Amino acid sequence: MFEPAFHFDEVNERQATFHRRAFLFGGVTGAGLLALAARLGDLQILEAGRYKVLSEHNEFEFRLTPPPRGLILDRNGVVLASNRPAFRLLVATDENVDIDKTLADLALLVPMDDARRARLAVDIANAPRRAPVAVVEDMTWEEFSRVNVRAPELPGVTADMGEVRVYPFGGAFTHVVGYVAKVNARDITKTGPNADPILLNPGFRIGRQGVEKAYDLDLRGKAGAKKVEIDVKGRVVRDDPGGDIPSIAGAPIRLTLDADIQNRALEVFGDNSGAAVMIDCRTGDLLCLASAPSFDANRFVKGLTGPEYKALSEYDRKPLFNKALTATYPPGSTFKTMVALAALEKGISPDTTHTCNRAWTMGGHTWHCDHAHGTLDMHNAIKTSCDIYFFQTAMAVGPDLIAATARKFGLGETFDIAIPGQKPGIIPDIAYKRRAFPKDPIWHPGDTPNIGIGQGFVSVNALQLAVMCARLANGAKALQPRLVHSVGDQVQPSGANAPNLPFPSEHLAFIRTAMASVVNDPGGTAFGVTKLDLGPIKMAGKTGTAQSHTYGAGSRSTKGAAWALRDHAWFICFAPDDDPRYAMSVLVEHGGFGADAAAPNAAELMRVALLKDPEVRARIVQPLPPAAAPTPPGPSAT
Amino acid sequence: MTDSAISRPGERERLTVKLGEIDWVLAALLAAIAAVGALMLYSIAGGSWGPWADRHAILFAVCFLAMIALAVTDLRVWFALAYPIYAVGLLLLLAAAVVGHTRMGAQRWLDLGPIHIQPSEIIKIGLVMALARFYHSLPARSAGLSWWLLIPAALILVPAAVVAHQPDLGTAILIAGTGGIMMILAGLSLRLVGVGLVGLTAVVPLAVMFVLKGYQRARLLTFLNPEADRSGAGYHIIQSKIALGSGGLLGKGFGLGTQAQLNFLPEKSTDFMFASLAEEFGFVGCASVLLLYAAVIVIGLRIASVAHSHFGRLAAAGVIVTFSLCVIINGAMVMGLAPVVGVPMPLLSYGGTVMMTMMAGFALVQAVRVHRYSEVTSGRGALL
Repeated sequence: MFEPAFHFDEVNERQATFHRRAFLFGGVTGAGLLALAARLGDLQILEAGRYKVLSEHNEFEFRLTPPPRGLILDRNGVVLASNRPAFRLLVATDENVDIDKTLADLALLVPMDDARRARLAVDIANAPRRAPVAVVEDMTWEEFSRVNVRAPELPGVTADMGEVRVYPFGGAFTHVVGYVAKVNARDITKTGPNADPILLNPGFRIGRQGVEKAYDLDLRGKAGAKKVEIDVKGRVVRDDPGGDIPSIAGAPIRLTLDADIQNRALEVFGDNSGAAVMIDCRTGDLLCLASAPSFDANRFVKGLTGPEYKALSEYDRKPLFNKALTATYPPGSTFKTMVALAALEKGISPDTTHTCNRAWTMGGHTWHCDHAHGTLDMHNAIKTSCDIYFFQTAMAVGPDLIAATARKFGLGETFDIAIPGQKPGIIPDIAYKRRAFPKDPIWHPGDTPNIGIGQGFVSVNALQLAVMCARLANGAKALQPRLVHSVGDQVQPSGANAPNLPFPSEHLAFIRTAMASVVNDPGGTAFGVTKLDLGPIKMAGKTGTAQSHTYGAGSRSTKGAAWALRDHAWFICFAPDDDPRYAMSVLVEHGGFGADAAAPNAAELMRVALLKDPEVRARIVQPLPPAAAPTPPGPSAT
Repeated sequence: MTDSAISRPGERERLTVKLGEIDWVLAALLAAIAAVGALMLYSIAGGSWGPWADRHAILFAVCFLAMIALAVTDLRVWFALAYPIYAVGLLLLLAAAVVGHTRMGAQRWLDLGPIHIQPSEIIKIGLVMALARFYHSLPARSAGLSWWLLIPAALILVPAAVVAHQPDLGTAILIAGTGGIMMILAGLSLRLVGVGLVGLTAVVPLAVMFVLKGYQRARLLTFLNPEADRSGAGYHIIQSKIALGSGGLLGKGFGLGTQAQLNFLPEKSTDFMFASLAEEFGFVGCASVLLLYAAVIVIGLRIASVAHSHFGRLAAAGVIVTFSLCVIINGAMVMGLAPVVGVPMPLLSYGGTVMMTMMAGFALVQAVRVHRYSEVTSGRGALL
């Protein structure tokens, strides 16, 4: 290549150049290293604080822990809704996990059909990164163990313990307490309490009906957080219990209901459809607010299947419907108490008599009665529930005064009992007719007689009738019903803080006496069917039989008719009749005659309430009479 | 120093004398860096010798012994093997480009039965030796500016282009940089250097736009603005800076680096090893390791300067240049000052072939030191 030529000056020149440039290179490299050191100083000393924070954000994550939902209790502390631990199966949404395979493996261990698997695969695909999805919500211990044993072969699957809402009485309280259900996309809002990320927690439930819905935020409590150290894939490396933020349990809610009475109500109704509402007529507390038949709220917590829901919604007894609040019916003869009171208010003497011949004609139209009651006064007209008497009384009083009286007793009103769903019904007056019937706005005289017997335009719900009865029984105050006794420590205002009724007490006493006769005097419509068998404790009441449809030309009796064509049976009552404590209304939908269908149920529930009341018990349980002479021993002794 | 003894002819051929002539301070510095690397690998494996630390330590020990054996090998052997090694390296490189084994998206590995070799590592040493060999015989005037310079330019650019095509931008830059700096050290006209720098600034942006592969361009653009793509290409840089910054002055402590332990730090055992170190030992630890590197560079350049043969000078200097470029490019990359290119921190990062190359390079430096009084092409004993 080259001739090896030795020019020493050149050799020296090469060496000298090399030395100079190597020195220069060393300097440049040194400068480079210094620059690196300066950069290190900038990052590690000047900006260390900022990067430490970023590093902690990487390292730690707070995982929300749902708070225990507040209990719902009855007036005596009996639990109506609580939480029980449940084993859950969660699948983490990790990109390294083959979800389809995992689900296929899980399907061998826990019951899971193909439809459910497909739905879960979608849920998991839509879940935010790192958020585990609950695959099975409430496993048995056996299933839980089966999964745990195979855990190493199931990447991304974790089993943990959560809480599930449980309603120990199943259906008895569903219409009041409501139920919780899965959170859906519409529940989540951008702002406000429902923006809380806890709603995204797997298995979190939100109140859907009744008290669960109305007091959802109080019951919900405040989510805590678990501090965990995670790796870059979001897997938990270890817990850091020191950094946990404890959750705050939801506030317990105490209702005024009495579990014994409410449960008994569902029992006495059996397959019948209807409602029972009982009020403490000194305080306004609702002791019973039952609608029958009901349905098991626990099924809704789990998530109802399509066929289950269909069966519930298509059953003609309408279990999903709250008949105590949402359904309105003509009050029938129970309304005669209001008509009579309006008559007294108008100055009509209770001694006024009318004669009943089973029929009464006015303006070319004939109205009928069940029996020919003969000549009777107001007391007996209430006792025997004579329609003819009240047709004529209503004509004498006029619709506006009847309506005004009824409204003062809470009819046509919705009450603030904290749960939604009340229908106000109709208490008709002349203005109502004008408003509601633009084609025929005139109140005809023929519209009035029907009002006198609680038919025609009149419609009420069971709660209103119970309130009416309670106000009659109380005799002084326009009680307000109360359903929620306290939220946490906060006691809700009592229903007894109410203005006085604007009626003379002797008028009210007259009505009460007449109602006592209905039950206790021979000839009363409820005599014999409402025996309390509680010694001196007697009940007062009023039957009602409400037409569910317009009768044709045929018989008025609907006893043998198809269920859906029968009359609705009402019974309102209070007890004890001499010192009222409890008032109630009972409706049996298509039950037929009020005395037959509704009154025995009412009597049974009243017995339960009265026997639980210590003061009433003290009146019933008399000291034993002084011991008689000891019976001589012998086989004949009985 | 035993200059008097070693200057006696014949005396310096004795093995014990040669062993004494090895720069043990340099050897100790290399061992210290490798030890820090092994410790860090132990730490980021979660306090475990596997899978990295044990292999790192064993490989270093083997390489260290090999370095000593090669250091006492006569420099004339190195001189004689310069072109053959370069030729073999280039052939393997071309072979890898044709039948190479693709790993991590790049054709860098040649699969020879049980051994996987990375020809780009062989060519690094081969290039240093070949350039030193070439300039050894080139007169000073020609080294400044002459048509002869097309030969070293070709020696540099052919492997650089092949490596860049693999694609391995980091190694290509390293090869081109090492070669370029060696040409300057050998006496390249400074005027030409100036023209070259101007030309480079004009060519680089064009190359970025038209020659680089998509991911390479993405890395470059990301480097300019890492926040624009936090989860994608910017992720490496952001996480590395978090690891460094959160280390603070004294570090989080041995075994307590969360960025590395929890895998937030990508490539924690290789390219971003320095960030793992920075996280656990802080500024003090980093500065100490940088001082070790600085000491190696100073000692290496001094060995180059005192060599009698031009081959020895340039060969030793070439190894040190490669070493320095690795340290600075990797450091700048980890600290977010340079785009992410695959250049490891020498001896600290885990990686067998890179360590072998580096230790082979230091074997050459040591050989230059041991044979600093020898000429390689004149007088008795010339091999060629």
